[in-house]
Amino acid sequence: MSSIIDKIFANATKFIAIGVLLLVAWIFSVLFEHSLKSIEAFGFSFLTETKWAPNLEKFGALPAIYGSVVSTFLAMILAVPIAIGIAIFLSEIAHAKIKTPVGVSIELLAAIPSVVYGMWGLFYFVPIIRDMFGGIGISMLTAGIVLSIMILPFMAAVTRDAMNTTPDILKESAYALGGTKWDVIKDIIIPYAKAGIIGSFILALGRAIGETMAVTFVMGNVHKISTDLTQPATSIPVTLANEFAEADSELYFSSLFELSLLLLVISFTIISIAKFYFLRRKRTGQ
Amino acid sequence: MTYTQKRVIANSIVMALSTLSALIGIGFLLWILSILIINGVDALSMTIFLEEGAPPGNESGGLKHALIGQLMLVGYASAFGVPLGIMAGTYLSEYGLKSKLSETIRDISDIMMSAPSIVIGAFVYAIVVAPSGQFSGWAGSIALMIIMLPIILRTTDDMLQLVPSTLREAAFALGTPKYKVITQVVYRGAKAGILTGVMLGVARVAGETAPLLFTSFNDNFLNTDMSQPMASLTVTMYNYATSPYEDWQKLGWAAAFILSMFILTLNILGRLFLLKRKGK
Amino acid sequence: MATIVDITEEQALKVKNFEFTYAGSDEPNIKKLTMPIAKHSITALIGPSGCGKTTLLRSFNRMHDLYPANRYSGEIIFKDRNILTKNEDLIKLRTQIGMIFQKPTAFPMSIFDNVAYGLRLQGVKNKTELQDRVEKALQDAAIWQEAKDRLKHDANGLSGGQQQRLCIARAIAVEPEVLLFDEPTSALDPISTAGIEELIVGLKERVSIIIVTHNMQQAARVSDYTGFMYLGELVELSPTEELFVTPKERLTEEYITGKFG
Repeated sequence: MSSIIDKIFANATKFIAIGVLLLVAWIFSVLFEHSLKSIEAFGFSFLTETKWAPNLEKFGALPAIYGSVVSTFLAMILAVPIAIGIAIFLSEIAHAKIKTPVGVSIELLAAIPSVVYGMWGLFYFVPIIRDMFGGIGISMLTAGIVLSIMILPFMAAVTRDAMNTTPDILKESAYALGGTKWDVIKDIIIPYAKAGIIGSFILALGRAIGETMAVTFVMGNVHKISTDLTQPATSIPVTLANEFAEADSELYFSSLFELSLLLLVISFTIISIAKFYFLRRKRTGQ
Repeated sequence: MTYTQKRVIANSIVMALSTLSALIGIGFLLWILSILIINGVDALSMTIFLEEGAPPGNESGGLKHALIGQLMLVGYASAFGVPLGIMAGTYLSEYGLKSKLSETIRDISDIMMSAPSIVIGAFVYAIVVAPSGQFSGWAGSIALMIIMLPIILRTTDDMLQLVPSTLREAAFALGTPKYKVITQVVYRGAKAGILTGVMLGVARVAGETAPLLFTSFNDNFLNTDMSQPMASLTVTMYNYATSPYEDWQKLGWAAAFILSMFILTLNILGRLFLLKRKGK
Repeated sequence: MATIVDITEEQALKVKNFEFTYAGSDEPNIKKLTMPIAKHSITALIGPSGCGKTTLLRSFNRMHDLYPANRYSGEIIFKDRNILTKNEDLIKLRTQIGMIFQKPTAFPMSIFDNVAYGLRLQGVKNKTELQDRVEKALQDAAIWQEAKDRLKHDANGLSGGQQQRLCIARAIAVEPEVLLFDEPTSALDPISTAGIEELIVGLKERVSIIIVTHNMQQAARVSDYTGFMYLGELVELSPTEELFVTPKERLTEEYITGKFG
């Protein structure tokens, strides 16, 4: 009797575990299948066409791709130096009494839902951008800044964790040769933790590019490519969030599915690079 | 100026810049937090818990519909996602361990944990909403469950692997069948860790908005029928905040406050559990 | 009462009434300790875990200042000044008093850059000067033969014993006056250990050496003076042979005969 239950239990867990894998494969295949109409209709030009006009049944993803790339890029150049600064502060400067509370608050802030960051951006940051740069304040720039603040806690926490992997004894050896803190950081800690730090940044990038709610509030969903960062714009997730529930034709839906697939493939690639190239998973339990 | 003097100056500059950037970053985050608390507390009242949504302008609306909807969406997602995640994690740690299959599942789950949640919404739209012809609470719950699965799976896997193998061996040595060793010995040893994983997983999906936008959609009134569109705190927050009506915006802040406090509490509790376990 | 031998020769360091308390602790780890350190000789510090020997060693180059809220008082005299004062230039002090750690600490850079690191910090930029001094340091640390063909290779490719000799080369390249060894062979195999010990003995012509060790045979093999510490106090400081053969304190005798420790 026991041996039968044993078999059932073992197979049930295995079945579910494999199910997770199949689920991911299913997600890809469903998105692909639903993208087919759009792929047939537009082919490769879906990625290069700048016109997104649902009323004309014309769908080009370039403005959304452009918006995703630019807003994420903006977010990264703003967040990376500040995240490094916070990480240095937390791991090398702050007194033990500040270190823990500040470190924990930053980790907790990473848990606050992105929709809250979006709301803050809309009510408090949009007016500032409007006053500083004119326009309506809803813009690519606003999206980039709000996104940078949204990813900052995660980025600072993982950068700090990566820096903290440097053995104390290695740092002490450099201090023992007369190094200053900055010498030790740039010559020892950063080279030692390089893979972890870069991996963390790329992981943050992978998350930022798929981030929806923090930017949906403040980007405007305007399918236009503009080099003026103070103009409204759109991104792949912003387009999906705004238009999915309203799409009214098969081709429109199919184009949105193709956007979803595109986003999934991009994030999957970026996250894989971060995880497998830079951050080899720590094996626990051995 | 000697080279060492230059180094000392460079050091002071970098230390100042780091402290400054930490102050900037922390300042922004405190700003957001204080706004959340000020607006949230200001908007809180009993009406919020007792009343459903109301048309804008009459100040009598509440969030009862969204609170109950949120609980149902997250509740059903957890009711399925938690046991499935624990089972799958059990397979990885107790049966598969270092097999190729287990490693692949771990890798894919790791990636899925950071993948864009709005894409999961699109997937569920395709497999549930489109065939059934309508948005529904079930669709929302399924989306949340899919997001939750890899989190529960990976923490269960990690936490079970932390249980010393001597504990398992001792149980096996008594002739205990494997499923009993796992359910009675290993689970007990990893209880605090798994519980933490569950709490963090629930906290994570509770804050999700994007995958609900076109699955459970929204409803301005109380609905407990999972086969119908259903309100959630997050989507309500989004709709109210982007509306031009001040009383709705106020409700949006109240929703943001309640939800954030719920998520922060779960996170803090989860950490305390882990600390307690370490302390033992 | 402690027995502390009179050191007639010149002294590299003088510890006077030194007391040290770690952050968050009420009990001092080192209590009112006074100890002379002879120049151009090797002083070993032995004693059971927690006796304060490593704490004392790390006080000579103010390593404790890297961590906040450690408290200390008393004096450590080095080159006619008390190095425990607030105005002490720690960067300069640490180039004059070098340190070798329990484990090899090769930096994540090439063998050459490891040894050149301290020199570069001091502003040595001239290529030939760097090359000459790196080569000399590697030779003095008896690792030139093994390293000369792979100076540009990552230092972490060396074996443990080689890495520890590399660390010694890195420390002597800046020509310190004192070298502190904190259990330098605890992570090494017996053959590498013998090599390091030989190297340490050879260095005393040029530098004064203080070595903390768990291994009493090591202290007996390499040192000229040995100090036995117990519960934060210096119980006995004698010429090494005397301390091991005719200890003056009962505690010392009990420790070296293995009655506790």
